[in-house]
This record gives sequence, C-alpha cells and structure tokens, in this order.
Amino acid sequence: MGDIEQDNSERADGENNKADKLFTLKKWNAVAMWSWDVECDTCAICRVQVMDACLRCQAESKKDFYEKQDCVVVWGECNHSFHYCCMSLWVKQNNRCPLCQQEWSIQRMGK
Amino acid sequence: MSLLKSQFIFENAWPCMRPIILKLLKQEPVTQAEWQDLFYSVHQVCLDEKGPPKLRDALKEDIMDFIKQAQQRVMAHQEEQALLKAYIAEWRKFFTQCNYLPTPFRQLEASLRGKTSTSMQKKNQPDESIVRKLMLDSWNQSIFNDIKQRLQDSAMRLVRTERNGEVFDSQLVIGVRESYVNLCSNTSDKLEIYRNNFEAAYIEATEAFYWVKAPEQLSLYGVEKYMRYAETKLKEEELRAQKYLEPNSASVQLLMERCVKVLVANFRTAILAECPRMIQQHQTEKLRLMLKLMDRVPEGVTPMLVDLEEHIATAGLDDMMAAVDIITQDSEKYVERLLDLFRRFSTLVKEAFDDDPRFLTARDKAYKLVVNDSSVFKLDLPVRQGAGGTSLIPPAPIIGTIASLGSGINSKPANNNNGQPESKCPELLANYCDMLLRKTPLSKKLTSDEIESKLRDVLLVLKYVQNKDVFMRYHKAHLTRRLILDTSADSEKEENMVEWLREVGMPADYVNKLARMFQDIKVSQDLNQQFKEQCRAAIADSINIKILNAGAWARGSERVTVSLPLQLEDYIPEVEEFYKKKHSGRKLQWYHHMSNGTITFSNQVGRFDVDVTTFQMAVLFAWNQRPLEKISYENLRLATELPDPELRRTLWSLCAFPKIKRQLIVADPPTHSPKDFSQATKFWVNQEFAIVKNGKLQKRGKINLVGRLQLSTERSKEEDNQSIVQLRILRVQEAIIKILKMRKKITNSQLQTELVDILKNMFLPSKKMIKEQIEWLIEHKYIRRHDNDINTFVYMA
Repeated sequence: MGDIEQDNSERADGENNKADKLFTLKKWNAVAMWSWDVECDTCAICRVQVMDACLRCQAESKKDFYEKQDCVVVWGECNHSFHYCCMSLWVKQNNRCPLCQQEWSIQRMGK
Repeated sequence: MSLLKSQFIFENAWPCMRPIILKLLKQEPVTQAEWQDLFYSVHQVCLDEKGPPKLRDALKEDIMDFIKQAQQRVMAHQEEQALLKAYIAEWRKFFTQCNYLPTPFRQLEASLRGKTSTSMQKKNQPDESIVRKLMLDSWNQSIFNDIKQRLQDSAMRLVRTERNGEVFDSQLVIGVRESYVNLCSNTSDKLEIYRNNFEAAYIEATEAFYWVKAPEQLSLYGVEKYMRYAETKLKEEELRAQKYLEPNSASVQLLMERCVKVLVANFRTAILAECPRMIQQHQTEKLRLMLKLMDRVPEGVTPMLVDLEEHIATAGLDDMMAAVDIITQDSEKYVERLLDLFRRFSTLVKEAFDDDPRFLTARDKAYKLVVNDSSVFKLDLPVRQGAGGTSLIPPAPIIGTIASLGSGINSKPANNNNGQPESKCPELLANYCDMLLRKTPLSKKLTSDEIESKLRDVLLVLKYVQNKDVFMRYHKAHLTRRLILDTSADSEKEENMVEWLREVGMPADYVNKLARMFQDIKVSQDLNQQFKEQCRAAIADSINIKILNAGAWARGSERVTVSLPLQLEDYIPEVEEFYKKKHSGRKLQWYHHMSNGTITFSNQVGRFDVDVTTFQMAVLFAWNQRPLEKISYENLRLATELPDPELRRTLWSLCAFPKIKRQLIVADPPTHSPKDFSQATKFWVNQEFAIVKNGKLQKRGKINLVGRLQLSTERSKEEDNQSIVQLRILRVQEAIIKILKMRKKITNSQLQTELVDILKNMFLPSKKMIKEQIEWLIEHKYIRRHDNDINTFVYMA
C-alpha cells in the first residue's frame, strides 16, 4: 500500500496525498491466456490442436484428461513442434521430423 | 360245457342287468351289490363271442327308451322357460349318468373294439367311451335335434332379458351350451355344433341388441355418457360371455370383437370428435375412458395422438405469445413458463393417458415444436451469399476431431445459406442457468435443493432444444464470466452442472472444455499464490492474476489495444517474467477486455469503491491528472487508444449505467445512445456522484459498474453468430466423412438420417446445409457420386 502512495506522490504533484486523488487503484484482476509458442497450432502427427491434449491422451481418459496437464509440446531443432506424446511414439519408428525429414533432436520442451 | 352254456349267457344275464341299468339311467339308488353284479354280468356276457353286440343293442334300446320318456316329460311343457327348465333338468341327470353308466361296460367296449390286451386298453382310455358316445348320440338324435332351435331361442331370449336388467337362473343358458358342446360326436372338432349354432346365435343376438341400443344411447345422452355406457357394456358383455360361452375357445374373443365393432368402431368418428375439446378442458377422466375404448379399435388412438399434438403446439404457442412482452425480456419467466407448460402437458398425459408411451412421444414431438418455435423470438443467424470466407475470422477453437479431418477440410468451406431464424430458447435457457449459478437475487433467494431442481429442469427443456450448440456457446460464455469475475454462487454446483450436461449427452469435447476451465481456474489460483509469495508486497496486494489455457477459454484470437494506466502497465513485465520462470515454450496474451478491478473514487460527496473493467479504468484514470476538466471524446480516444466501438461502449457504461441514479461521468451534450457521441462530445467526472440507497445519499459504499463482462469486442460479437454457422458447417462435413468412412457407400436418404442422428445433440442440420456440404465434399474429392446412381455417395480415401 505504501508503495502506491509513493507512486501517487511521485506521479502527482507531490503534496497531494492519496485521499485527494480522484481515482486510486485498489485491486486489479488481470487476465491473460497462454498458448504454446508454436508456428503451427496443429500437431502434424495426431491432427489435434497442440493446445488440446493429443488424440491418444484424449482417448485414454476421456473423462479426466483435462486434469492431466502433462500432454505438453516439444520443439525440434528444426523448430517444428508436436505433442510430446505423439513425437515420442514417432521417433521409435523414424527418428526424423515428420515435416522436414531432418534428423530429430529436441530443442526444448514445453512446461 | 362252457360252450353250451355260453350260448345263453346274454339271455340269462340280461334280466338281471336290465333293472340295474334302468335304475342307473333314472338316477335311482343302486346298491353296491347290484353295482358289482353289473360288472360281473358284463364280464360274463363278454366271454361269449356273440354277447357284446347283443348287449350293446339291448343297452341302446333301453337308453332310447329312457330318452323317449325324458323327451315326453320335457315336451309336456309348452311354456318356453318351463320347457327350458325341464330340458336342463333332464339333461343334467342324463349327463351325469353318462359318466357313470359306461363304467361297468368297459369290458364290453374293449371286446367291441376287438382288443383285449391291457396295454391297448390303457392306450385307448382317452378315447371316448363307446357307451357314453352311444348315450350322447342317442340324446342328440332324438330329443336335442327336435327342440334345439327352441332351446337356443329361449336361451337367447333369457340372455336378452338379462341384458335388460332381469335376473334369471343362468344355469339354464349354461345348460343349453353344455348340451351343444357335449353332444358333438365329431371328435376332431368337438366344438363344431356349438360354434355353428350356439356361438353364432349368441353373437348375432348380442350384435343385434346393441345395434339398436347403441345409437339410441348416443343420441339420447351424448358422447360423454355414451362412452361410459359403451365401456360398462363392454365389461358386462365380457363377463357375460365368460359365463355363457364356452371357455377355452375363441368364443369370448370373437364376441368381444363384434361388441367393440358395434359399440365403439361404429361411432369412432363421433367419439373422436369430442377429443380435442376434452384435451383442451383437461377432462382426464373422460379422456382416459376414450383411450380405453379407442385402444380397442384399429387406428383408434392415432387421431387422439394428433389431437394431443395439435393441442400442445397451439396451447403452448398461444401461451407464449400471450406473454410475449414479459418472456422475451426475462429469461427466468420464459423458462419458468416453458417448464410450466411442460408440467401441464405431462400431467395431462399422465392423468388422461397413464403415461402411455405413444402419448409421451406425441407430447415430446409437440413440445419440441413449442421450444424451437421461432415466431416468439428469433435468433437470426447470418445469411451469406456468394463467395464465402473472404471476411471470415478463422473458425474459433476447433476441436481435435474436426482438425483431424485434415487441413483441407479445415480451411474455409464454400458458401452457406442457413439463414433460417432459430428459436432464442437456447440462449434464454443459458441465461437462466447463469442466473441460478451466479450470485444473483434469484440464486440467493433459493435453497441449494431448489437450485438443483431448477437446473435439472433446464436440462429437461434442453433435451427438446434442437440447436444445443447455441446453448453451449452461451453457457460457456456465462461460465467464463462467472469464473473470471469470481461470481459463482456455488462452485460445487457449477461442476455438478458440467457432469449433468455430460449425462444428458452433450458432446464430450464441449463438456471436457468446460471441465478444463474449472481445472484451469484452480491451477491459476495456485499460480497467483506463488506469484504473490515471490514478488514485491506492494504488487501482491493490488494484483490478482489469472493465466488461462487459450485452448479452453479463448474465443477467437482478437485482442484489443488499450493504453493501460501506468500503474497497471508496470505490473505486466513482472508477471511475464514470473511466468517465464515457471513455464517455457509458452506465450502470453493479455485479455484486457476480460480483466477488471476495483478502484477508489473520491469526490466532494465521499469515497466509493467502484468495481470496473480495465477499459473503464483506463478511461477514468485519464482524469487523474486533471480532475475537474472536461475532456473531449477525441482526447479520450488518444489517451486510451481504445478502438472507437470499445470506447463508445465504455463511455456509455460510465454515463448511462442502468439502474443508478447518479452517474459517474457526465456527457455534454447528453445522448440517447453510444452512437451519438461525437468527437467533440465533452465528458467530465460527476463531482456530485454518490450512491443512492432507499432515496438517501451514501457517503461511502461500493458499486459495481462492470455489468456484463464483455468477452469479445464489438466486431467479434457480430462474428459470433457467424462462427456458430461456421462450426456447424465443419460438424456437418466431419459427420458426413465419418459416416462414409464407415459405410464406404451410402444412399442420400440414409445419409441424411444418420447425419441427424450424429448431430442431434448439437443442432439440427438443415437439408440445405447438408446438400451444400455434400457438394463441397464432392468438389474437394472427399466423396463422389456413385457411377450408376447419383443419389448414392462413395467414400474416396
């Protein structure tokens, strides 16, 4: 609170205290949406949007898949992104990116 | 010696046997010794080869004699009933003896058949005894043939007098019937004589009786009394038939068929003509009776079903129309009214028709019509002509299954003209749900159980809603608002509701998304907690963050620019930095049109806490530098950087907020609509602002100016309905492909049926939409028409 007062006094003309300010902030409920920072929002392997759990995860636990937050996204060195679940199955057969055929190596994982 | 003796066995024995036989015939007492002697004599006679035929002839003669005497006794009576009585008495006696007399003659019967082995005897036992047959045949030939017509006639007359209310000895009629049944010598069809004479006469007499009576009753007393009459008579006749007609035969059924015909079927039209009126007047007893009667007539119930349907549809729509002013404004009243109608119709069906499934179906069909009728309110879905898709936003969150169809299908489809107006019912239902689940005067007034039962009611009506997708969209929007503004009345109920929606068959992907929103809110709460623990106390006190999964929450990708008050702007990097540490690979988008807060406003009257949206905050804070100045629209736009429609809307909410006496902002010149603000319109902060409660000014207090939290911008709102249509198109395509993938080949009509079946939990696809999407799919080579039949489609892999 003290900080706000400080802010106020800094921004206003100094001698005004908080009570004299026309509007002061009490609480801000900020809303933001997160999404995976991907170039294509559909997983090329399962054809589901990467923001949703992959097809396999959806089918496995139809009722509570939403409780699992672990169907994450993985980026390869080629910058292509897929569901981690989908990709880990894919690489067992073919260690290349399904989109660009470059050898697959993980650049980073979504968290 | 035996040979010699045997020649005279019969002649010797007969004189002893005869008196006993006569006694038996006359039902006179026979001593045990006599009874046993008879057995012995028969045995003796049968030892002789020529004995049996002789014995048989002698026996026959005696029986004939006896019958002749009986006949004389019977015929002595001229008067009908006396004749009948006498006959029955004689018949009874004779018939009883038919069961006794044959016993001593078993051996005779055996020898007459020429078989003596015991095993054969046993086998033949079920056969009619020869002596018995002899007796019955003789009776039939002599006495019965002579007077059967008279007997039958008088029996029928008796039944008739009974119908007219007189009582008589029913044994008389039963006796006649028994004569018919037992006297039949045709072993393959024992009931032949009975059927051709007695049964036929009985049915004919009954029919003739009611043929006269029924129209008389109807014209005398009218349909309602007549129905009661017919029902009573049918019951009476059934009981009577069970008494007088041969059981274990088709007689009763046959008679009832004829009775129904003459009592009910003949007056079907007249009776049914009363049905609509009775339904209208809720005359359940009478309808119940009518159903009972009509159920006996082929196709009798169908017109009643039609009447019920018509009644529900008209009464329902009339009721809605009569209250159109209230219910179009007030979703609570609307839903209550719909439910009230439903209960009324259900009571009718229950009380009048005992929840007969056929009537329940009719109710459902008609109620669906009322619910989905668009004459009361319309939800206009946009009509698009010509080249489609140029101005479209990418279809809002498309779920996995659709996307899995392939990106080709995901791109914008061809034009659609589904411009038929739809009922606003789903929207109002969703609004009502919101009122129950949000903290509102309504939800506060009700107990938890009441809310629950009302929510169940909503689900009940929802079952009849054709376009459930519209409900889902609105429900989700309301839920979003409740969760973001934290205005849920009861979070447990919220989650229950999601499960109930799942139970009533809402599409899983939709329900999952709702459930995920709850999960997300919980995750977000934890995150908020962690954020507050980590950052500067000053920030922690004045900010709450909700960082939500765009996949579950977002509606379209649009964001609105706004220049936030500096103080807020400062928080953003801190939040982003915190989030980046927690997660990787994620990007954040701020949804300022959804965010909100509380500010303290002080003027010369007092200090007030005001709940505002972030946009409102941005506008209001413009005055912080120059509290008493009048600021023009143009300058506010520059200060806030809000797009024109948003600024207008925000300003309007500050200077014309409904239901408050003194507004926060004053506009000059005053306007009637946000559209009337000009660039030069001046706005200033109302220094007189105060909260007015019960006519008194309050110096302190809290007021909420958020109103209905806006989830989308003005522009995307217009596109909202568009996206419903958009999503429907994709669903239709998806469903067609699903069906074809499974069937490989399908006719047009079957495809239509299966499509409706798949989509019915979301919406009812119009024929036109289906046709267009089939064309689109053919054009894009997902399917093709069969070479030999253009009405058959083939899947192309």
